[in-house]
Amino acid sequence: MTRALRLLRRRLVGSVFVLLIVIIGSFLLLEAAPGDAVDAYIVSTGGDAGMIELLRHRWGLDQSELTRLANYLWALLHLDLGQSVTFSRAIRDVILERLPTTLILMGSATALSFGLGSTLGVYAGARPGSFRDRFLSIGSLALYAVPGFWLGLVLIVIFAVDLRWLPVGGIETIASGKTGLARAADIATHLVLPVSALGFIYLALYLRMMRAGMAEAWRQDFVLAARARGLRQRRIVLAHVARNALLPLVTMLGLQSAQMLGGSVVIESVFAVPGLGRLAQEAVAGRDTPLLLGIILVSAVVVVVINLLVDLAYAVLDPRVGASEGSA
Amino acid sequence: MSELTISRRGLLAGSALLLASTALPAIGFAQTPKKGGRLIVAADSEPRNLNPAIVASNGVFFISSKIVETLAEASFDGKDGLQPRLALSWEGAADGLSVTFKLRDGVKWHDGKPFTSADVAFSALQIWKPLQNLGRTVFKDLAAVDTPDDLTAVFKFAKPTPFQLIRNALPALSSVVPKHLYEVGKIEDNPANNAPVGTGPFKFAEYKAGQYYRLTRNDAYWGKDEPYLDEIVYQVLPDRTSAAAALEAEEIQLAAFSAVPLADLDRISKVPGLKVITKGYEGLTYQLVVEINHRRKELADLKVRQAIAHAIDKDFVVKTIFLGYAATATGPVPKNDPQFYTADVPTYSFDVAKANALLDEAGYKRADDGKRFALKLLPAPYFNETKQFGDYLRQALAAIGIDAQIVNNDSAAHIRAVYTDHAFDLAVGPPVFRGDPAISTTILVQSGIPDGVPFSNQGGYKNAELDALIAKASETLDTATRTELYKDFQKKVAADLPLINVAEWSFISVARDTVGNIANNPRWAVSNWADTYLES
Amino acid sequence: MSRLCHFFRTPEAIAGASILALLVVVALAAPLLFSGDSQAIAGPALLPPFQDWSLPLGTDRLGRDVLAELFHGARTSLAVGLAAAAAALLIGSIIGTLAGFAGGLVDEVLMRITDAFQTVPSFLLALAFVSIVGPSLGVVVAAIALGAWTGPARVARAEVLSIRERDYVAGARVLGMHPLEIAFREVLPNVLPSVLALSSVIVAAAILTEAALSFLGLGDPNRVTWGGMIAEGRTVLRTAPFLSVVPGIALVLTVLGVYLAGEGVVESAAARRSLS
Repeated sequence: MTRALRLLRRRLVGSVFVLLIVIIGSFLLLEAAPGDAVDAYIVSTGGDAGMIELLRHRWGLDQSELTRLANYLWALLHLDLGQSVTFSRAIRDVILERLPTTLILMGSATALSFGLGSTLGVYAGARPGSFRDRFLSIGSLALYAVPGFWLGLVLIVIFAVDLRWLPVGGIETIASGKTGLARAADIATHLVLPVSALGFIYLALYLRMMRAGMAEAWRQDFVLAARARGLRQRRIVLAHVARNALLPLVTMLGLQSAQMLGGSVVIESVFAVPGLGRLAQEAVAGRDTPLLLGIILVSAVVVVVINLLVDLAYAVLDPRVGASEGSA
Repeated sequence: MSELTISRRGLLAGSALLLASTALPAIGFAQTPKKGGRLIVAADSEPRNLNPAIVASNGVFFISSKIVETLAEASFDGKDGLQPRLALSWEGAADGLSVTFKLRDGVKWHDGKPFTSADVAFSALQIWKPLQNLGRTVFKDLAAVDTPDDLTAVFKFAKPTPFQLIRNALPALSSVVPKHLYEVGKIEDNPANNAPVGTGPFKFAEYKAGQYYRLTRNDAYWGKDEPYLDEIVYQVLPDRTSAAAALEAEEIQLAAFSAVPLADLDRISKVPGLKVITKGYEGLTYQLVVEINHRRKELADLKVRQAIAHAIDKDFVVKTIFLGYAATATGPVPKNDPQFYTADVPTYSFDVAKANALLDEAGYKRADDGKRFALKLLPAPYFNETKQFGDYLRQALAAIGIDAQIVNNDSAAHIRAVYTDHAFDLAVGPPVFRGDPAISTTILVQSGIPDGVPFSNQGGYKNAELDALIAKASETLDTATRTELYKDFQKKVAADLPLINVAEWSFISVARDTVGNIANNPRWAVSNWADTYLES
Repeated sequence: MSRLCHFFRTPEAIAGASILALLVVVALAAPLLFSGDSQAIAGPALLPPFQDWSLPLGTDRLGRDVLAELFHGARTSLAVGLAAAAAALLIGSIIGTLAGFAGGLVDEVLMRITDAFQTVPSFLLALAFVSIVGPSLGVVVAAIALGAWTGPARVARAEVLSIRERDYVAGARVLGMHPLEIAFREVLPNVLPSVLALSSVIVAAAILTEAALSFLGLGDPNRVTWGGMIAEGRTVLRTAPFLSVVPGIALVLTVLGVYLAGEGVVESAAARRSLS
């Protein structure tokens, strides 16, 4: 496993730089914003000049940008994400409260789009150019082209309002007192619609990639060889063609993790899911710079970790990786 | 609903019908209220600081008015439009230097400690006056609060303060919080700001960020048999379309503050089991206003402002944007205000030809492309209706040769652009009329307000005559004289157009028909709901 | 000519090309068919489709002609998509080519920056960027490009790595060409085809991102876009579904068209390569 360890170390060192770039970039971007946290706050309260000055002072917004950036980085060095001005709570706690929800949502949606997408991709790619191939690729593309919020709203109208099979929104039944399995089942019911909305959007991606990968694999020598050996079609599809087409999909999984979080901003808003995406939107609207930095940082860490896992999985799965690792 | 504060409006039931009630079902049957049950309500925003004594705003009141009570509440039929809450009576001295409150006996805080005049004195002096967004203006001359006994609080003012103003301010500005919890440590950092403790019919139980607030019944409430409900749950639904869906799916029972979009009301009123209620917001009137930057030389010309006023079809705005759930405005005081409103002001009929003529007269002729000059238009993003009016205004201005470019900002950027940076020519704003022009209306035209104060005159408008009038009214004690001065104020504003008042609106509730005692006072959504009940 | 033949081999490519052609016609015809302001109030509000033949697709919340908005929306939506894709491809290929060709520290720094951009969810970046700079069409395009250039950059770099040791590059070196000249005159043109293959994905994503931004209230209010129409129509989804369905269908067709045509190009390129 030393190869994997070496990869890990290389990636971690690189990640620190990446995260530093992300933090400083986001900080500068937010500082350039018109209006600060106090402006966002007084929208709902009003107030006179004295009160506004008082708030700016209390929230430390009367210090210079550089001082605040330096303070933030210094605190970060001690693993302190700081204090949210809009929540008046420690940012670490605010984020930790939301992170599991988003991870479950993203995880389930990824599993759905990856699982269903690659399966359908195999199904479509088994006979390139057939009717089912065309139907599936175009159908999934049409789904991809539907804006996520609109798909979400239509799902709500059909399954929650008309059929009443599933709840309209939220993450669990309010103050239901459920525990253990009952609670898990409750959360699962609440997640069906948002996960479907988010997952179906990205379905096309995996389906088409799988299909393209398979189309490529059909032309490869080893498939021809397998055919020559007289293996059955089904066996060739699964054991040779699909398996080889799967590897790029695993890489895609890592790349897509950041995009899923972006997509969840809108989906969480439509389905009232208390996740990180919605928190990020609130942080932007509230000009809560440290909170948004915290979210970006945490999501970046999540993305980096996922990619690391993907790379490790890749290294284990595909023996060729070691040789070309140097140029990656 | 994330908006602003309101004070009460002493509105007599039935007078001044602000809202066209298309689908108003019968409310307030003589039915015996049932006890028990959980009422689930839609909430579209999550106020962090739930202390209404510090943050006097509708978003906060919507939740915390059930927990923390004020000295008096607005009423359809009470004297001066008020009904007693923590105070039983209030009396202003003739010299305007003191107001005496007699307090309710036997009231207990949620933690069991008795409520006394010391709590009122502490709240007024330590919170309303120095910290509250609105109290800082209204109570600025409050010098002391004497407490001769546990049930009497005497407010002493350093300068004569009109009793009418104090009275009008009671429902929104007088939330009383417990001294024994707030006297230690910094008031702003007190944990009770996030988990309020009060004397109200409901106790704060829990808050799950992004999900819900839960309130439970206060068994020791002073009201006989009240409250009826066991629990109130505010479910956070950030998207505007989800409240209607949740109501139809029977997941929530009430959506207040127009959480159901106006365009959906007609359909939803036909859904069995749901009712649309237009009453209960008479004391929460929002005004649709075109704010004007008088630093632009074209807009400093009265003729141009008159032309813009003539170019706006107020009836179209009420009919199409508000779908009838609003009224056209004549000036800075809304039509449904029983104390101050006067219809005797200059008016501007919808007349495009006249508007064009006025612009020609002012010397802004149309260029070859038909345009006279270009403007930057900033509609406030807080309401769908303000944004839609922005779209409409752009078209209305195009018809008279003014090329308006809309600048779309989020809330924080809008506040900064308009009220601090003055980077606008025209803005669309929703100021609130809080029952007395001195609370938050005169500052919309008064000069000399520092930069950065939101919802104030930041358009560089300066009129010495109006400034003098405002100053005089603020120190006039006699109610009749004071009222006359404000009528004069309305005339002058309508004549000189420092801003253009277009319409006045308030909100709509949609509820399941099992919810009883809805909308029985003019600030119902932000009152204590002690008598609200659920059938079955 | 043979290129076109290859391209039109599959029915998908033909369908995609026809959709795009129709779209271009619509976009070009918009100002001719609906002269004047597309946002002008033309009739009563919320008129359903097929009721009044002067307003065939009905009107929206303010009484604006939905058909006129749809036609003008085609222009802006296409413009947003194409501009964002062009910007992303341009930035991406330049950075990718530089990184791949220069190697060493420059490569390391540029790729870490690319990593940083890829680590931040692009929609979040667009959201923050637009709320900060203020929504106008140009800003929306920039915001989308900001999150989309990393893909092209990676592809370009990988291509450069594979061709920089080829004969003609070595030949240019021997001739004494400036490295930057080699990078942009010899290497970049050979990198472009594989980078361009990404364009259909980016165009489609750009149109969708614009819609999502409009949903959150961050669209350009002075222009009609399909995304903005859907976002505005969603509040009356139950009362007047046509307001979001009509532009929704247009959007789906466009994204499909872009995709299918893009796929056709890639496939015909592959077919040509396998022939030669």
